[in-house]
Amino acid sequence: MTNILIVVVVILLLATLVQIVRVSELLSDIKNKDVNEVTDKDNNTQGILFLIVGFGFLIFVVWQMVTWNHLLLPPASSVHGAQIDTLMKISMGLILIVFFVLSPILFYFLYKYRGKKSNKAYFFSHNNKLEVVWTIVPTIILTSLIIFGLKTWDKSMNVDVSESTTIIEVYAQQFNWNARYSGQDNTLGKANFRLVKGSNILGVDMLDASSADDKMSREVHLVIDKPVLLKFRSQDVIHSAFLPHFRVQMNCVPGMTTQFGFTPTKTTAQMKETEGDDFEYILLCNKICGASHYNMQMKFIVETQEEYDVWLDSQENLESKLLTQK
Amino acid sequence: MDIALKNTVKKQLLWVALVSISMFFASMLSAFIVEKGDVDNWKNFSLPTYFVLSTGIIILSSLLLFFIKPALKKGKSIFGLVFIVLILGLLFSFFQIKGWEQLTNQGIYLTGIGSNVAGSFLYILTLTHLLHLVGGLVGLCISTIKSKQNLYSINNYLGLELTSIYWHFLTILWIILFTFLKFY
Amino acid sequence: MSEHHKESFITKYVFTMDHKMIAKQFLITGMFMAVVGMLMSAIFRVQLANPGESSILYSLLPGAWLNDAGGLNPDKYLALVTMHGTILVFWVLTAGLSGTFANFLIPLQIGARDMASGFLNMLSYWFFFIATVVLLSSLFVETGPASGGWTIYPPLSALPQAIPGSGTGMTLWLISITLFVVGSLLGGLNYIVTILNLRTIGMTMQRLPLTIWALLITAILGVLSFPVLLSCGLLLIFDRSFGTSFYLSDIIINGEALHNEGGSPILFEHLFWFLGHPEVYIILLPALGIVSEVIAVNSRKPIFGYKAMVGALLLIAFLSFIVWGHHMFMTGMNPFLGSVFTFTTLLIAIPSAVKVFNYLATLWRGNIRFTPAMLFAIGTVSAFITGGLTGIILGDSALDINVHDTYFVVGHFHIVMGLSAIYGMFAGVYHWFPKMYGRMMNKNLGYIHFWGTFICAYGVFFPMHFLGLAGLPRRYYSNSAFPMFDGLSDINELITFFALAGAIVQVFFLFNFFYSIFKGTKSSQNPWKSNTLEWTTPVERIHGNWPGELPVVTRWAYDYSKPGAEEDFILQTEPLKEGEIEH
Repeated sequence: MTNILIVVVVILLLATLVQIVRVSELLSDIKNKDVNEVTDKDNNTQGILFLIVGFGFLIFVVWQMVTWNHLLLPPASSVHGAQIDTLMKISMGLILIVFFVLSPILFYFLYKYRGKKSNKAYFFSHNNKLEVVWTIVPTIILTSLIIFGLKTWDKSMNVDVSESTTIIEVYAQQFNWNARYSGQDNTLGKANFRLVKGSNILGVDMLDASSADDKMSREVHLVIDKPVLLKFRSQDVIHSAFLPHFRVQMNCVPGMTTQFGFTPTKTTAQMKETEGDDFEYILLCNKICGASHYNMQMKFIVETQEEYDVWLDSQENLESKLLTQK
Repeated sequence: MDIALKNTVKKQLLWVALVSISMFFASMLSAFIVEKGDVDNWKNFSLPTYFVLSTGIIILSSLLLFFIKPALKKGKSIFGLVFIVLILGLLFSFFQIKGWEQLTNQGIYLTGIGSNVAGSFLYILTLTHLLHLVGGLVGLCISTIKSKQNLYSINNYLGLELTSIYWHFLTILWIILFTFLKFY
Repeated sequence: MSEHHKESFITKYVFTMDHKMIAKQFLITGMFMAVVGMLMSAIFRVQLANPGESSILYSLLPGAWLNDAGGLNPDKYLALVTMHGTILVFWVLTAGLSGTFANFLIPLQIGARDMASGFLNMLSYWFFFIATVVLLSSLFVETGPASGGWTIYPPLSALPQAIPGSGTGMTLWLISITLFVVGSLLGGLNYIVTILNLRTIGMTMQRLPLTIWALLITAILGVLSFPVLLSCGLLLIFDRSFGTSFYLSDIIINGEALHNEGGSPILFEHLFWFLGHPEVYIILLPALGIVSEVIAVNSRKPIFGYKAMVGALLLIAFLSFIVWGHHMFMTGMNPFLGSVFTFTTLLIAIPSAVKVFNYLATLWRGNIRFTPAMLFAIGTVSAFITGGLTGIILGDSALDINVHDTYFVVGHFHIVMGLSAIYGMFAGVYHWFPKMYGRMMNKNLGYIHFWGTFICAYGVFFPMHFLGLAGLPRRYYSNSAFPMFDGLSDINELITFFALAGAIVQVFFLFNFFYSIFKGTKSSQNPWKSNTLEWTTPVERIHGNWPGELPVVTRWAYDYSKPGAEEDFILQTEPLKEGEIEH
């Protein structure tokens, strides 16, 4: 019934529109004017509208920046993340300046040069000097930005694996995450998808000597200020491991192992002080992977060495977990 | 549009189409290179001997097409020439299929368990080339019929010209594919 | 020479070879698909504002797409998002934009009777039409249409077990896109050969309107890049249906280990984005070409820096082939490769910036006439500034780490494509409607359409940057699963409000368009007082475009307000006066 009513209303609205247009055309016929001719009055109105709506838009942008600033991610909780944040601030600052210079120029020109029949435009077809200037200036600015960006990219992507780097595997599947700690030897046991069976979700090859001390977990604990190298695999489709608070993202691709290394700089407890008691570091999936793509999460906890040691000890290693559970 | 312009235009349309087709194959060759570099279990195998035969045949067929213009200039019938090229084209197709047969006997499959990406690429590249060749065969059929009816003259053989350009393209493309698969 | 063969309804409107009618076929089909795509976005925006709840809009969907509570199923949300993207990127902004304006304008603006091959041109539309039918049919299959995102990455798009839409729906998608690409290529062949060979006497390349330059370069981009989508799709078809392993390896799905070994999904991404990136310029360049024309005519001034504008188009086109990796920064590629792509991507900002400056310089000291077309052309410039600048953030690989695949990207590409390019399309329709249909569109409805759209569209897409910087990923059915996103619901509701309002505003356009075809005031031959050749053809439109001889061109297209001239415009066919120097 509601649907029929809606259809009727829509038809009536359209009919009203038809009549309004017809009337306006008839009126202008009577006044002997062309209803569709753009008059000086139209240009005046539209020019003023551009000024008002244009600057209204800019005010709207500022309003958004002010109102929603508190919703943005907190400052990065990792070493490379802090550099990314700096680069982001500079880049954003740059584009905002350009935006707040060019947009008002555009809207102002539309107002200032709104047409009048009595006016004449200025025949100005080209100026090579101007072209050179406004090609070279952006080139210089962008090149500087690129160089800075590349340095930051290099720091983020090129992992220096030292002895103190903890290696942890993060395994993606539809629709959850599993982690595997590499144990005391800091080496992950080899894995093969054909070995996935029962509770051996990750397909770990238990015949590999490095596998025995590996530990599986449904949440990841990290030690503050200690570098970690996450190694990613996927069981089925492309997923993406996104840890926004650490400025970490890496696709998990079946058939490949990808990795991302970083050093956390703030504990979960510290974050709870500034961000509220509900705060948790979280891993989310960031590449469309199926129906529950929107709900693939795993908790990350950054804590002190002591807290971490206690937790890690309490986790069962694979040797006992898998070999005793046939 | 006068005839000369019409001819130029039709030829240019074909040339642009050939650019597109080239990009299609170029991207598959790039995919081949990327995959080969990435993958651990890339199977190496030798090309079926039938492909050597078919290469010779298609080159011969292209060479024969060069005799068309002189023959038309002298007012001679080109039916025999075009017909032979058509037969050679069909022979090429036959040898390609025999080549695939040789591959499956060797254990190189296109799909399924036991197949390997290397083999799959070979099949896909030769299959898509052959499919494009079918278009050339259609052109040759029409040209054969028209030349039997003496509808071509030195001033008016656009259809045959277009077919020839396309056929030369297929030959060059095959030479590139064959050389690539043999040596890369 | 105008043909006087007897025309039936079929030969005039259906199987026509006249470029002007084919253009309108593309336009109407494109508009229809735009409505479909827009309705889809209205539906999924409602889901995002009120996750899990039912809505009256859902009654547009097949019943099987909803759960018992009347809410939308998550995988069907992904289906909507996928089809929305596919329809808008390919059907509306490629076929609807290029297909319409290349077909309509090329012969008219270069002084030709028709395209090089009317037959191929007709085929190009019919391939497009059949592609449309196939795509729309996928909406009605039991397992639903393709649901892996318009980017259809395997293994998700290869495995029906991973998501239902990857079954029949995905097969139909692939068939449809193959037909679509063939149709596009057939069109592109014509555009290139026609522009290169059929220009009338005096129409040198340097006298071509910028619109034609843009359409030529777009066609070249298409001819070089669309075939790569075909090869990419072909390998996917084999993986999906014939058991090859080009993209698949090491997969366990639904408890079953698949036999595939050796393939790489990243190969798909390389092939896909090799087309994918030039594709966005295939979308953008025609819009910029239209905008150059509309701004010049309505500022009554030459477009500033004609040569620089052509150079910028060429540079953008060239660079567009070497930036594709910026869609793949987070795939685990060699960091050095990532640096290369950052470098090339930020380079492409330079010719883009040059174009913006040239538009601003065109407006400077102009005598601006605000037709609805001009309003939309200006909208394009504004959106290009806004959206182009956020591209600088995304193109920087280090910054992309935290914004890749978030709403920041969604905001960026919607503003450059959904605003800039669509506004260009609107500008083109309003501007050339009198030439297409011999009547004028209603000006006031046009004004309402523009301001409503301009305000609502910025209201929809600007807030998305904040969602992205807050970490919200795209293609999420709902943000209610993560407490960290709870604070974002207000923004989502605001966006949905503007989206629905903006959708309703489009009614003004649709009404105006169809009403004016039948009841619009009849137009004069050159209502905008423009210089270009299309305005020298009769209002009623004939096959062969000009009765009698083809026009002879004596000057470039931009002699507006030339000092010493009587009027503020001079047709390209106007011979040079005594002592007048050609620009």
